[in-house]
Amino acid sequence: MEFVATQIAGFWGSFIGLASDPITYVYLIASVFLGIVFGALPGLTATLAVTILTGFFGNKFPLEHSLIALIGAYVGAIYGGSYPSILLNIPGTAASAATAMDGYPLTKQGRGGEALGITTTASFLGTLFGTLCLLIFVWVLLAVSKNIASPEKALLALFGILLSGTLMSQDLVIKGWIAGLIGLAMAMVGLDPILSESRYTFGWSYLLSGFQVVPVLMGAFAIPQIMDGLRATVMVAQVPQLGRIVPKFREVLRRMPAITRSGAIGTGVGALPGVGEDVAGWVSYGVGKASSKESKLFGKGSIDGLISAEAANNAAIGGALIPLLVLGIPGSPPAAALLGALKINNVIPGPTIDPALILHVVAILVLASLTMFIMGLFTARIFITILRIPQTVFLPVVMVLTTIGSFSVGGGINDLFLMIAVGLVAYTMNVMQYPIAPLVIGVILGGLFDETFRRSLLISDGDMSVFVSRPGAAILLALNVLLILSQIPAVKNGFRRLTGKKEPVA
Amino acid sequence: MKNLATLLGATVMLASTAASFNASAQEYPYRDITTAVVWGAGGGTDSINRMIMAEMEKHLPVGISVINQTGGVAGSNGMVYVMNQPDDGYTLVGLSESNVTAAVQGGWDKRFNFWHPFIVGGSPDLISVPADSPYNTLEELVEAAKAAPGTVPAAASGSGSIHHLNLLAIENGTAAKFKFVPYKGSAPGQEAAVAGEVALVVTSLAEQAPLIAGGQLRPLAMLTADDAEFDGKTIKSAFSMYDGLDKYLPLKQAIGFAMHGSTSDDAKAKITAAFDKAIASDVVAEWAAANNYDIGGQSGAEATAIFDNLESTFAWTLWDLGAAKVDPATLGIPKP
Repeated sequence: MEFVATQIAGFWGSFIGLASDPITYVYLIASVFLGIVFGALPGLTATLAVTILTGFFGNKFPLEHSLIALIGAYVGAIYGGSYPSILLNIPGTAASAATAMDGYPLTKQGRGGEALGITTTASFLGTLFGTLCLLIFVWVLLAVSKNIASPEKALLALFGILLSGTLMSQDLVIKGWIAGLIGLAMAMVGLDPILSESRYTFGWSYLLSGFQVVPVLMGAFAIPQIMDGLRATVMVAQVPQLGRIVPKFREVLRRMPAITRSGAIGTGVGALPGVGEDVAGWVSYGVGKASSKESKLFGKGSIDGLISAEAANNAAIGGALIPLLVLGIPGSPPAAALLGALKINNVIPGPTIDPALILHVVAILVLASLTMFIMGLFTARIFITILRIPQTVFLPVVMVLTTIGSFSVGGGINDLFLMIAVGLVAYTMNVMQYPIAPLVIGVILGGLFDETFRRSLLISDGDMSVFVSRPGAAILLALNVLLILSQIPAVKNGFRRLTGKKEPVA
Repeated sequence: MKNLATLLGATVMLASTAASFNASAQEYPYRDITTAVVWGAGGGTDSINRMIMAEMEKHLPVGISVINQTGGVAGSNGMVYVMNQPDDGYTLVGLSESNVTAAVQGGWDKRFNFWHPFIVGGSPDLISVPADSPYNTLEELVEAAKAAPGTVPAAASGSGSIHHLNLLAIENGTAAKFKFVPYKGSAPGQEAAVAGEVALVVTSLAEQAPLIAGGQLRPLAMLTADDAEFDGKTIKSAFSMYDGLDKYLPLKQAIGFAMHGSTSDDAKAKITAAFDKAIASDVVAEWAAANNYDIGGQSGAEATAIFDNLESTFAWTLWDLGAAKVDPATLGIPKP
């Protein structure tokens, strides 16, 4: 308790110090806005925003100031990715792919303004939740995340792929899993992570570094959406009522359980080294679907579904900073870019870090999320008018932006061919009602699964029991098995008889 | 993702190349320089390049922007990218000793002496165990490995990294056999040691410093000839524990940057002058002390000699292990 009191007192000191310095606001407003723009442009990511700013600030500006800009851009970009997800069904960043699941159906119902308002609020509260955990539970979370080794990571990655396959299927769950396995197979291309043998490269040097996530993401989501939009040549979305963007206080209060649950999941996932905001969104969405009262609405425009994804990906920021600040191990790719910025300034994050710096970071996070919230409610109003532009004019522009986003990864022209190829495959899959999201999750998590699964077996000399003998791994394995069993009709019926639940009326 | 800056940089560069036809009489450097780092943001090579470039800028009339161009084999993407830029001294490459294996691993077909290198410095390697490890000394660890060869798991970055080669050297020098578990870089390997997944980790002092200071890792021995002072304590050299280790452990990190070997002497001289001034500055000294790096400061022929030695040791060790794809003899790399 004493620790909590000193932490809060320390935070308050830093917060007042920051809030009373006018220069803080200059940095905050500029960087949060830049972050939102980066997040909202398809293919430009939070990692890129933080990396570019790291290069810009270098060690030429005082660290206290450059940190404001870096964290502001980080928070803004994770939030900004939700705009195109909700309005266009094209995720701005991988972190907001789960947001599109319920955000876009809401837009189609003409509730885009409401969706943006709820997203802004959920992102704001999610960031605050993650920040609070960073302030209070930093040591508890550290003890947990420190003990996560290869077997747990492998099972978590597998769980993510299976879960998205289960959730995204419109008719048959097996179709979602097939898509997930295709993604997993795509992740195998390139140099293998353990022995550095080349796999499926056919002697082509471009394939040695594997398929990059951004071109796959853009191809999978943006291209089918653009093709569909242009084929229809009518407004896919109804012209939204601008109406009320700021959500009602009572509505927010009613959604608090969902926000808190998602915040907790997001922070936990974010705190795992190397697993970031993208996974946080999906895991939270999955748990939301399983536990929410309106789970039947998930995927058809559920506010709870939207909150599950958005509160979690923003809460993951605070989570990702925990191992970064106290162990020197970044919890997510943008956090890795932050690590670089700290090192250039001779600050070595880790157990020896000055505790005042953690409090400073917490204070910045609080201010950045406030800035994001206020700015978000204004920018949402502007962004939603995008839907008034005819699709025939707007979609080609999106296509250009998407192409630039894919090219920005640095793989050259081949990345664009990859994007188009994935896009055509994704379009066909859409037509055949195969969900595309599990494929992308497979590509994102497949590498992690491959590496950690094989390393677990390397260490255990091929003994599969490593996946049961560790308590964390055993729990995760049980979750995976349950997830698969729950979809087998015989088991499903047996389970239903057991609980005496009636067949839900769809 | 990493490289909107590259894109912008490339556009600017194109524009200025067009302009340079008129301005060819101008003296080098008259426009901004770009350094493409072949490793990711936040890593040692990235941090060092951003630090030294910021310092060199002060002694040049133009700015230097640092970008990351990662991927490929042993950083080959970035090296090929810079190789394909004109050798006018406006595009430098940020690299480290690990890049010398790109050729034998099939990443590209050039020897390392394609470059005109500059070495900023490196951090010495050491061998550490998790804080709750049963092994209190290097001798105990080696005895355990000898008692059950190939069962004690050891992390040391990826195959062919300097840390891997140092682990091999320890094995050769002590006749112990560990189970080498590769990781994508030093940080995940150290993370695994903290989580107890491996029994020991070989990485550099700079990389382990926060974990040692925070009591997560326990250092056993430096893999250099000299003891090291860290956090008020002395970490003994492994050379004092095993005789003849010096035969096997000649390797040290060399992080820095390079220009095309074919760049004009004028441009080389100007960059060298700025580099020498930057290396001598207090900023670099303070940075090195805070980050546990030793300053190198070699350039040109002196640096090439160091990289030649690294290249031949790395290439032939990998070839002997069966981990190399291209025979170093066909590339003209001499045996160490």
